[in-house]
Amino acid sequence: MKNHAEVIIIGGGVIGCAAAYYLAKKGVKSIVLERNEIGYGGSSRNGGGVRQSARDPRELPLAMHGAQYLWPQLSEELGVDVEYCQKGNLRLAKTEAHLKTLEKLVESSHSNGLDVKMISGDEARQICPYMSHEVIGASWCPTDGHANPMLTTLAFYKKARELGVRFITGENVSEIRKIKGRARQVVTDETIYEGDSILLATGYESRPIANTVGIDIPMQRILLEALVTEAQPKMFDQMLGTAAADFYGHQSKHGSFVFGGSTGLEPYISEQPYPVTTSFTASSTCRGIIKYFPVLKDAKIVRTWAGWIDDCADHVPVIDQIEEVPGLVLACGFSGHGFGISPTVGLLLSELVTNTALTLDIFALRYNRFKARA
Amino acid sequence: MSKVVERSQDLGPCIPQNDDDLIICRCEEITKGEIRQAVHDGMYNLTEVKRYLRTGMGLCQGQTCSRLVRSIVAKELGISPAELELTSARSPARPIEMQTYSNEVW
Amino acid sequence: MKRYELIVIGAGPAGLSAAIEAASWGMKVIVFDENVRPGGQLFKQIHKFFGSKKHKAKIRGFRIGDTLLKEAEQAGVTVQLKATVMGVFNNKEITVMMNDQIEHFKGDNILIATGASENMITFPGWTLPGVIGAGAAQTLMNLHGVKPGSKILMVGSGNVGLVVSFQLLQAGCEVVAIIDASSRIGGYGVHAAKVARTGVPYYLSHTIIQAEGEDCVTGAVIGEVDDHWQIIEGTQKKLDVDTICLAVGLSPMSQLARMAGCEMIDEAVKGGLVPLCSEYGETSIPGLFCAGDVAGIEEASSAMIQGRIAGSVAARRAGYILDQEFAQKNADFQESLAQLREGMFGAEKKGKNLSHTDEGIPLSLTLLQEGYINEAEIQRFPGFSETISSETKTKGVYPVIECTQNIPCNPCQDACQQGCISIGDRITSLPIVTDKEKCSGCGMCVSSCPGQAIFLIEENYEEDYVAISLPYEFLPLPQPGEQGLALDRSGQAVGSAEIVKVRQGKAMDETAIVTMKVRAKYAASARFYQQLEGCLSGGSTEALAMKGGELE
Repeated sequence: MKNHAEVIIIGGGVIGCAAAYYLAKKGVKSIVLERNEIGYGGSSRNGGGVRQSARDPRELPLAMHGAQYLWPQLSEELGVDVEYCQKGNLRLAKTEAHLKTLEKLVESSHSNGLDVKMISGDEARQICPYMSHEVIGASWCPTDGHANPMLTTLAFYKKARELGVRFITGENVSEIRKIKGRARQVVTDETIYEGDSILLATGYESRPIANTVGIDIPMQRILLEALVTEAQPKMFDQMLGTAAADFYGHQSKHGSFVFGGSTGLEPYISEQPYPVTTSFTASSTCRGIIKYFPVLKDAKIVRTWAGWIDDCADHVPVIDQIEEVPGLVLACGFSGHGFGISPTVGLLLSELVTNTALTLDIFALRYNRFKARA
Repeated sequence: MSKVVERSQDLGPCIPQNDDDLIICRCEEITKGEIRQAVHDGMYNLTEVKRYLRTGMGLCQGQTCSRLVRSIVAKELGISPAELELTSARSPARPIEMQTYSNEVW
Repeated sequence: MKRYELIVIGAGPAGLSAAIEAASWGMKVIVFDENVRPGGQLFKQIHKFFGSKKHKAKIRGFRIGDTLLKEAEQAGVTVQLKATVMGVFNNKEITVMMNDQIEHFKGDNILIATGASENMITFPGWTLPGVIGAGAAQTLMNLHGVKPGSKILMVGSGNVGLVVSFQLLQAGCEVVAIIDASSRIGGYGVHAAKVARTGVPYYLSHTIIQAEGEDCVTGAVIGEVDDHWQIIEGTQKKLDVDTICLAVGLSPMSQLARMAGCEMIDEAVKGGLVPLCSEYGETSIPGLFCAGDVAGIEEASSAMIQGRIAGSVAARRAGYILDQEFAQKNADFQESLAQLREGMFGAEKKGKNLSHTDEGIPLSLTLLQEGYINEAEIQRFPGFSETISSETKTKGVYPVIECTQNIPCNPCQDACQQGCISIGDRITSLPIVTDKEKCSGCGMCVSSCPGQAIFLIEENYEEDYVAISLPYEFLPLPQPGEQGLALDRSGQAVGSAEIVKVRQGKAMDETAIVTMKVRAKYAASARFYQQLEGCLSGGSTEALAMKGGELE
């Protein structure tokens, strides 16, 4: 049958494309269905952080596995320079309260085996000399880094496509159907696709689709914004974040700075049909950046953008086979930090779908972990 | 909603053309050959080409090149340029210094 | 947050007109423009506009700009310059970069009137300094007083290419050639003809193959194209130029409308991606309007009416105009707009290979292909046929109107106090010389014709000589008694000429009327005067020398 494959993947984001690639590598053919273009959602709308520090212990192993085994050779493996740069992550503090927040995060990550520590403001400035003296300390994880999310998504797509994966864009999935007890059919506005397994990875949109087979994941859609400067002379390699979460970002290989930031009003942005920037976020982010990096005050912003994150109730994703709907594998709720772990997740999904031994234990990310207060 | 596009079309080989080294996106210095190759690499719309190559990501934000890129991509795909949606427009409409941007008056 | 009843983005013809209209009804209006001067393209447009009296026909663009600014001031419109609108957001909020900060404003209504940007085409060398947009050339000349170059190749024969070519000639540049890949000249025939008669050659079905030069343009290679736009081998031609102007179309600058989330439509006839608008210019977002080139490429006259319409609709939305009053006003505007869209260059007929005028006269093919009407073809048009006749000599002066295409324009009819020129109610009809005996020779028709297509002929000026009066917009003006060359419609020298009169006046608005005396046999062919020193286009002196002996 024309619209049949061993696996139907719903969602042509970085997770879907990575899964398609790792499946194809195992010789499993899939069809990837995407409503818009490849990488439409959060995959192309994020800051590009590939970090392990400040991760929840439940997903930290995924980040560490990626940083150690997958990211370093990804460009070579996929045949596209994904601009992975593993030169460390500085999380900055300006106040004593900030330091306390960071210390807690460092302690937790450290106890889980990550090489991360607290350093002084001056030590931080030795690593990244452009920082203002308002910075009084930082957490430092030398094995963190960043990559180009747009290129990473498209690189997984390109390689998977070369390996024979069928990608179809412009397909709006309305429903998953169970046939004889298993999730088999994927109904779109145009046609029906059929697979032995179905992988659902469409960010927040996974929720209404999963609902069609009676599965609901408690998550909310939150609008986040980012901005990019014109190319600047090469300044530093580190991925940056702050304890205050007022901005994060890095300098890209191209020379432009990519920064994200939050205003505190994100959960309350009014409903809109597609993500668009607000009138106030970019200004707020710029104020945040200039406090830490006054040297950038004359850098020109050429563009801003917005994207939705699928913020899960407990802020870590669901990556699981759905027991009650055999044949369905779900990967969603990445809560704004899915990009960095996307290669690992792609690998794990390929294992889940093919029922092979899992590289990592992901029991903590099961779909039915959400319980109401006792 | 965008129309259904099969991404495994046989576009034939990407045969070099003698004007492949023509610069199309002046801000980012992207050539016609690179754009044509991107289509053969699977980038079937302007947004993907942009993300893949940086066409239209520079100071002018595609003001000059978007039509040019569109016609090259369309030709490579064998479709009419009008079938290809332009990449989205976003604030700021002109490049703006961070200092200025951060200084808001309500 | 500062709130206005109407925020206008762009102080060009559309934006200012909307602001004036809305403010005149009592609305609180502000106009933002990123430039240091208001007026958009109007202050670069030194030519006289087409249309009728109510469209401000025969008035030069920059004067219309002055008038609009005055009206805006009188109406109490705030025009905020050096203010760049950075974004249009939900709830009709905008951010504006001005005074080194970002200011937030809200509008009950917003009009986006951001105009258009120039299209580019690519060819080897297109990124060299010296390859510029024709609009950029216009800006250099008419706003900054800078000559864009010395020897120019104009790529594109639409109205922009033709009008700017003429301006380049006026600025003292040599226009080496005008080329167009199409097999027909895209702009008004009268614009083409006034350039052709100075000696500028047209190469239709020709495209630019290469701009030569290492650090800047030192030459251009052009070639003829076949039906599939492929270069025909062996037709390559090298041109000695230092500047290449591209006049290959405009694209609506619709980014702000897209940013705002307006429903868009990609229409070739409108020049590309434009917001889907109602007849009032209202987009899919209620209270958000678009007018002028951003809503579809036209010209300044229609932009001004579209602006008026948007301004009055905003006034109705805000409760300043009653429905009935509005209906009346809108009907007038729509009629006026419809008039401008009529004719062989109007939206309906644009791009169609017409063969006849509305009157059923076969179009001049040389005009479409070479930029001028040949002597055989001009005979069949009503402005011409009824006047010059080879058999009988007419006494006195009479006008010859070489206007052969249906375009929306009628100032000649109003200019003639004697009533010897008629166009009728339909603004696009070809002008007819109804009663040549009545002509007083005042020349008002000559100077008022925006197409510079009217000439006065005095057949019995002297024994064996006629006097031809023609519109002249070059400096220095010739002086009576001066000897020079009479050029025909193609710019070829036909014989010598002596200037017998030069008229200037306030009403003529810088279009001088130069009367030259030429041999009677050139009455139907001589249409331009070339001074012998500092010749405009080169080549004609040699051409005359080759003809031998005609210089007296």
